Amino acid sequence: METEDYLDLRIDDFLDRLTESGRAPGGGSAAALAVAFAAGLVAMVARCSRDSWDDAAGVAAQSLAIKERAAQLARTDADAWQVASAALRDAGTDGDADVRNLELEQKLGRAAAVPLEIAELGADAAALAALVGEYCDGAYRADAAAAAALASGGASAAAHLVQVNLTVQEGDERLKRARASEQAAAESAKRTLASTG
Amino acid sequence: MSQLSTLSDAELVQRCRAGNTDAWNELVERFSRYVYSVCTRGYRLSEEDAEDVFQEVFTRVFTHLDTLRNEAALRPWIAQLTRRLCLDSIAKRGREHATEEPMAEELAADLAEIDEAFTVREALATLSDTCQEMLDRFFARDQSYRTISAELELPSGTIASRIARCLSKLRTELEGRKEGPGGSRG
Repeated sequence: METEDYLDLRIDDFLDRLTESGRAPGGGSAAALAVAFAAGLVAMVARCSRDSWDDAAGVAAQSLAIKERAAQLARTDADAWQVASAALRDAGTDGDADVRNLELEQKLGRAAAVPLEIAELGADAAALAALVGEYCDGAYRADAAAAAALASGGASAAAHLVQVNLTVQEGDERLKRARASEQAAAESAKRTLASTG
Repeated sequence: MSQLSTLSDAELVQRCRAGNTDAWNELVERFSRYVYSVCTRGYRLSEEDAEDVFQEVFTRVFTHLDTLRNEAALRPWIAQLTRRLCLDSIAKRGREHATEEPMAEELAADLAEIDEAFTVREALATLSDTCQEMLDRFFARDQSYRTISAELELPSGTIASRIARCLSKLRTELEGRKEGPGGSRG
């Protein structure tokens, strides 16, 4: 089961897909793209600050890497979600119950792993946004703040998707990591937004 | 990292010429992946043919190293030798049965990509172990700042800046290599 590559769609086509009921893309893909947008903005701000900031090129390179990974995860998340949904729908139909349960758990677990990765990328994108917000050319500081807010939103949405996954319970290491990423992203965003007034 | 691995190509050639066996091993180690990549990715040789070319390349390097005029131009020399032997292999194989030969443009692009990858690899080797480790973890293993910070025991808030500085050093090293063969080491 494979979804289409969202990166090949026009933005309005992607938004149309998002509004369709009961199918991918959903919250995970949207969170991934929010992080990708944030990382793209950070790269732009860093590139525009090359003349005044020695680390600008290195920060832009890291932002581009995060943007690529997050954008790819939009599709990966949709694939994992569809596989997990189908497995839940078909649960208990045929075969050995233990094998079925194990397979279901693996598929649901995969559906939690992707948003966890998105949350961690969101935290990294927000950290980079805070860094560019501090050192960038002043004309672009508001873009850095926008990037931090987007990254934090993406991380928060993704962390929530980890939390509601059926295989994740309180105290689970994945949930701790997701929440740590959400919190780190929120702190970076708060700092960046405050510094830009 | 062995002491020999920090030598420039020119220094390595000098030690090989002096009969240092460890230097020969280092030369083979340094260029084996390059030669093999040119054979298999560039010229699409079969594993068997690539191994034959690989053996022949290093045999010729061993027997003809004294003829290399510019010691710093070791890689271009090995590259030329490998390309020639790959073409010989294709010609020989073509007489026996048809093979899928890469198109000239595609081949040039693949060889340029292999060359670039090895240039970056060589430049990376000149950076500090910490820099190499951080760049590898972030760009090759896709690790988050949090993971890098925890595993290298560095403050998490400093990882992005450290990586940026390592990239800056890498760029300086690569620009030095573009200006002339044989960059600095250490």
